[in-house]
Amino acid sequence: MSEGMSDGTRICVGVIGAPHGVRGEVRLKSFTADPEDIVAYGQLTDETGNRQFALTLTGWAKGMLVARIKGVGDRSTAEALKGTELYVDRALLPELEEEEYYHADLIGLEVEDVEGRPQGKVKTLDNFGAGDVMEVELTDGTSLVVPFTRRAVPEIDLEGGRVVIDPPQEIEGEFEAESEEDGGATDREGRG
Amino acid sequence: MARSVSKGPFVDAYLLKKAEKSRASGRNEVIKTWSRRSTILPQFVGLNFGVYNGQKFIPVLVTENMVGHKFGEFSPTRQYFGHTADRKAKRD
Repeated sequence: MSEGMSDGTRICVGVIGAPHGVRGEVRLKSFTADPEDIVAYGQLTDETGNRQFALTLTGWAKGMLVARIKGVGDRSTAEALKGTELYVDRALLPELEEEEYYHADLIGLEVEDVEGRPQGKVKTLDNFGAGDVMEVELTDGTSLVVPFTRRAVPEIDLEGGRVVIDPPQEIEGEFEAESEEDGGATDREGRG
Repeated sequence: MARSVSKGPFVDAYLLKKAEKSRASGRNEVIKTWSRRSTILPQFVGLNFGVYNGQKFIPVLVTENMVGHKFGEFSPTRQYFGHTADRKAKRD
């Protein structure tokens, strides 16, 4: 399963990296918004859910967290864990406020238009400083980015695994030809 | 003295006209623009722009605190593969 993705009940929050030192410490690659939150959501398990890890953060090294794992006391044991993905139960993540959604819950949902026609799947969500946006991978292979607002995304049905989008009408190019006649770029007072 | 002080902020004239037309129409529409270099002016507040990043148009809903920045600042041209484990999005 890829990083940060959810299988519905568990979410991948990080990966164990290379050993750090000779006392069994390891580097950690954290996928949480605040890297140190990797230990904030309770018991971590491996992908199968059979093995549990109790981590204690001890610091940072080369831009990665360093942690001690209970029961791991030497470098060779730590080396054997390299590449192990760490999961938490989805239910252990904090409750969301109204109209808040975890990215992991939305990514991969089917996307429909307001008339119920399939459009594609949710590819990713981003925020570039101008509000949250949702990228949809359309059935023809192209992608469409819509603002994550009630107007553009009127319905989110997590149980049904679908999202309804109503992209706003786009206007384009009407004045490009005019601008060339105007002499191209100009400033707002028309002094350009 | 900085350019913007001596000459006024730069904005492509056609974008200003598009914005005026969109505001006058009162419809919920996205103004697609390639003009990443234009400064965001106070009269753009509340309008929706689609700012081209070389591949697609990124929706930018202009708010007051964006005034003075360039459109391109809100439409990155490089793909960022972030981590999603506990990230949240709020539907406005």
